[in-house]
Amino acid sequence: MSNVIGIIRALNSGVKHLAVKRFTLRYPEQKLKFVGDGFQFNPETGVGIAGLRGRHILFHEHCTGCQLCSVACEGIAEAISMVKVHETWKHNKKAIMPQIDYGKCVFCGLCVDACPFYALYMTNDYELSSFTKSALIYTPAQLAIKPKISQDVEIKIDDRGASHG
Amino acid sequence: MTTQLPPGMHLETVDDKIMTLNVGPQHPGSGHMRLIIKVDGDYIVSCDPDPGYVHRGEEKMAEYRNYIQNIPHLERPVIHDSSNILYPYCLGVEELLGIEVPERAKYIRVIAAELNRCIYILYWLAIYGIFLGHSTMFMWPAGDRELFIDLLEAMSGARVTHAYLVPGGVRNDLPSNFEERCLRQVEYFEKRLKEYEAIFYQNPLLKARTEGSGILSRTDAIRLGTTGSVLRASGVDFDVRKKEPYDVYENLDFQTIVMKEGDSYARSRVPYLEMFESCRIIRDALKKMPKSGSVRTKLKPNPKGGNDEVYRRVESGRGAIGYYIVSNNRPEPYRVKISVGSFRNLICMPYLLKGEKLGNMPAVYWGLNYWPVEADR
Repeated sequence: MSNVIGIIRALNSGVKHLAVKRFTLRYPEQKLKFVGDGFQFNPETGVGIAGLRGRHILFHEHCTGCQLCSVACEGIAEAISMVKVHETWKHNKKAIMPQIDYGKCVFCGLCVDACPFYALYMTNDYELSSFTKSALIYTPAQLAIKPKISQDVEIKIDDRGASHG
Repeated sequence: MTTQLPPGMHLETVDDKIMTLNVGPQHPGSGHMRLIIKVDGDYIVSCDPDPGYVHRGEEKMAEYRNYIQNIPHLERPVIHDSSNILYPYCLGVEELLGIEVPERAKYIRVIAAELNRCIYILYWLAIYGIFLGHSTMFMWPAGDRELFIDLLEAMSGARVTHAYLVPGGVRNDLPSNFEERCLRQVEYFEKRLKEYEAIFYQNPLLKARTEGSGILSRTDAIRLGTTGSVLRASGVDFDVRKKEPYDVYENLDFQTIVMKEGDSYARSRVPYLEMFESCRIIRDALKKMPKSGSVRTKLKPNPKGGNDEVYRRVESGRGAIGYYIVSNNRPEPYRVKISVGSFRNLICMPYLLKGEKLGNMPAVYWGLNYWPVEADR
């Protein structure tokens, strides 16, 4: 008898959820809202600023071509290689800047920690899929573009349960 | 005519009644591993676990990378519990390099570790549910896990492989409205956890399948060197967080969950009850945490450790994880040895499965909290 009651209780707790809001995020119609504009790092204090670790953004006016990001990536993903750019900057005599292969990148963000010149940050852009491998290699010019991301939904918690938007 | 076999090789004697089953090596639920099971009808005669299919050489890789570069790859063995597997490494390296950790960072690390423990246990519970054919119990924990993944994503910036803990503190400070959001989601999660009780843990079907199967006695649990929830389900009160408190665990209010039965049911229930304790720890840590201050001690580039060795361990979702790190005046460690709970719990699998029904094998196997990737390292 106690078994029957137990089964009824178990079924009942499942049936109750017919009236509860659906938790599923309807991606890509809905997209999650993130904290801040991506992971950033302050080399003066040595502490980062919270944010999503998505694809990088490179500020050409700050990059000196010091290769510290590339050195930091050695032994982790080896995704960063330094390439020639056809730009003339006073602080970048060698005219080299990082090029990132997102087929290899693990998004650990240690290259951002390594940059002492506020030149390399990460952004909220996480939709990087492509049909070819070569399209995953982002040149310095591509990395300089600020991504346009729509973020609208957050987890909402009320009496009827948790849901997205 | 009998052919002479070379020395050291022998053919197995075949018994008509005994059948050999290979469970795996293709992914019997977690990572690649194989159980060589011999069955007599429906009953298991012997079981021989065969790990080693996902060996990644993490320990050797750590000898060629400096103390910071080791962080992303050392969390790869258990990506669901990445803060806890990095925790002893950070504690050990801090001791080797003589780094002081700011007080606020210690609390943040504890919160990250407890959130990650919940993420791991929920994932484990989801697979446990589907192993026993309870598909609702797969959907619910997998959905509720998102609450904690979202919190850790706000904290660290990544959903699964956080690379958040570093020697000297944490990578970045908490976002602005984190405390309020964390408290709200933890409170909601505790309410949800209570619903698991009726649908899963008090379910007579689950009880019939798991109660009294795969009993591990208290003396056997100690003798076989098990750890974590397996040890606590057999009635041994051992938790590294209580016995050898690290960071700020001694200031926080929580209990060790101990059950006496030692069967599959107790092994599935101990991690579930631990999630309530994790919620208590998170709430307590948020209350006692200093509201401002630094969260990371600045390191020199390429820090070098002296001629020294250190062993530190923490409690993870699967038991004690220990790191033995040796340094020899170089930026890279000389040797990193990782001692994991999964491998130690695997040892008792042949003892538990002997005489069990084959149908109970998934419950015993997954109840041991065994993660092949972590065991092979």
